[in-house]
Amino acid sequence: MRLETRKLLDKAFSGLGLIAIAVMATALVLILSPIIWRGSKAFVFKGTIEHRRVMLEQFNRGNPDRFNQEWVQVAKAREPVYRMLADFEAEMREMPSSERREYRSAFKELQEAVEILLGPAPGEDIPVLIRKRYGQTRWDRTQIKLHEVLYSEEWDYSNPDAMGILVEKPRLEQFMGTKLEPFFAYVEEHIDEIMRPKTTFYWQFITDTSKDSHIFGGIWPEVLGTIYLTLGAMIFAIPMGVIAAIYLCEYAKEGRIVSFLRICISTLAGVPSIVFGLFGLAFFLNTMHVSDSRSVLAGSMTLSLLILPTIIRSSEEAILAVPRSYKEAAFGLGAGRWRTVLTVILPAALPGILTGIVISMGRAAGETAPIIFTAAVSVGAPLKIWETLNQPTPALPWNIYNLCTEHEAVDEIRHVQYGMVLTLVALVLLLNLFAILMRARISKKLRG
Amino acid sequence: MKRIIALVATTALVGVASAQTKIVIDGSTTVGPIAKAFAEYTMAAHPEVNISVSESGSGNGAKGLLNGTCDIADMSRSMKDTEFKACADKGIQPVAHVVALDGLPILVHPSNPVKDLTVEQVRKIYLGEITNWKEVGGPDQKIVTISRDTSSGTYETFEEKVMEKGKIREDCEYVGSNGAIRSRVQTTPAAIGYAGLGFVDKTVKALKVNGISPSAETVQSGQYPIARPLFMYTNGYPALGSPLYQFVTIHLSEDGQEMVEDIGFVPVTAY
Repeated sequence: MRLETRKLLDKAFSGLGLIAIAVMATALVLILSPIIWRGSKAFVFKGTIEHRRVMLEQFNRGNPDRFNQEWVQVAKAREPVYRMLADFEAEMREMPSSERREYRSAFKELQEAVEILLGPAPGEDIPVLIRKRYGQTRWDRTQIKLHEVLYSEEWDYSNPDAMGILVEKPRLEQFMGTKLEPFFAYVEEHIDEIMRPKTTFYWQFITDTSKDSHIFGGIWPEVLGTIYLTLGAMIFAIPMGVIAAIYLCEYAKEGRIVSFLRICISTLAGVPSIVFGLFGLAFFLNTMHVSDSRSVLAGSMTLSLLILPTIIRSSEEAILAVPRSYKEAAFGLGAGRWRTVLTVILPAALPGILTGIVISMGRAAGETAPIIFTAAVSVGAPLKIWETLNQPTPALPWNIYNLCTEHEAVDEIRHVQYGMVLTLVALVLLLNLFAILMRARISKKLRG
Repeated sequence: MKRIIALVATTALVGVASAQTKIVIDGSTTVGPIAKAFAEYTMAAHPEVNISVSESGSGNGAKGLLNGTCDIADMSRSMKDTEFKACADKGIQPVAHVVALDGLPILVHPSNPVKDLTVEQVRKIYLGEITNWKEVGGPDQKIVTISRDTSSGTYETFEEKVMEKGKIREDCEYVGSNGAIRSRVQTTPAAIGYAGLGFVDKTVKALKVNGISPSAETVQSGQYPIARPLFMYTNGYPALGSPLYQFVTIHLSEDGQEMVEDIGFVPVTAY
């Protein structure tokens, strides 16, 4: 091959490599930036007075005196809203019945929209459902709901050959010439005083329990459930995995059986996680009855099976990487095999083993399929440590899925879903970062 | 030594006692919102009771009750003979508590001009005999049918009340929950689907069926043709006064009725 061709090929390859890295980096940015941007809105957002009310009444947080002062002003700003509604209702009662009918459904719609925006009117009974007790807690949602107060949505079906078109009509037009006429301008102009948006740092999002199935509050049961499941999986997987690796490297005689075992372990690593989930349900719950319902215990056991191959393989590699001379020196000093493994090989291989463990921790924290049937529920209280033996728990990966597919009010609480995603991604990234740092420290130490 | 045994015994007793205050609920995604609201309500009044709710479909709820992995099976259909038999063989006695009523609304995208379908038309759409909205008074658009998966009670109600043993067309899209039906319909203008009443909001349009729109009155009076009760099944009637008993009787209280109504379903009581 001529020199120029070789150089050209060389350049072409390094160019391809650069392109590949650039594509990967863009993909990473494209995936991570919306996660971070949207997820951060669960923690930092413009909260309204209703948010502070939820915090005070549901979580006993905030200064009651300061809240009450603010609330007095808000009530003053809201008073004309309710007065105008009441005035119109009185006006409507005076109307002849034919005219009244015209307004009735439009007024009912408006009342409902106002209730969604501001919560129940003063003097009304406190609703049983917590979601009905408060108005909009977030400024972004407030603006959407304000729009719904000001405009009614109608669909124009006049073209029979096409789908209808959404037409937004100002509700003002419907109530022109009545006592409700100034209502719309008032609400629009005074929405700041009515809702009092303030930049809010809600870092307790992680440590608060959820109220009314995630509509208010935070995600502590999910975070705690994920931690329990991950730690539980580690408790089962680490001893089994490390012991298996030591046996395979140090004790077993290389032969057909050992290579067959290795093939089995590699295959286990490739089994889809949902298969582990179904196995966990069939074996741990329905056959072994480790607990009488789904539980953290059953989920941890299933997850531990999933990460076992990773731990075995990484431990094996770490053990094989220990220089032969260490072992020979130990034998030379008269140490037995057991003592050599325990005092020489394991400490030297520990960094590599730990890296494998941390990486599989990240895997266990993020897996959904193995816990669907064995441990996860959509709503539950944070568990105490002994309750993990027989009780199921919510967990981040499963609840993200559950929120976006099953929750009845998912469009109202997207921020919770994004917040959960960010928390999970941050958790896994932190674990991986920890693994990288550890590996760096260890290789430095080994180099001397 | 005696002291240690006593200590162990008390710990075990406490353990058993605390085990009794957990209620595990599994089953229908339609009943899910009611179960979640009731769970919150119970836990607020009795912090010592730990209730967890999962939503994996009526069929899975029945299996959970059969295998003893849940205390309450939420179901949006009644138990089948085979399920009753399997339970009886295992010594489990399923007791039904009807917590609410539900009219199964037929959902379309709000931009769809069609307002009214007959049960016959809905059946023909799902059979694949009607494939274009033009045939039922809409624009020239191919109908996208969306259905619940076959483990769902909502599916079985639909099959019984609408399909009458007819086979759903092969290219029908099956999704795993009520929420998924709603999100598919709200993003697909030519779609048709069905879900529980509690899942209807402004982003989808519930059609009139045989000229009757689904509402509390039409469901209770039986005028709305695709209606059904929503169940919670327990193993035997729960011990009176137990947390489980309190849970399955919430819907009979005024608070329970308000919650059922506010979520969007039809209560069985009328205060």
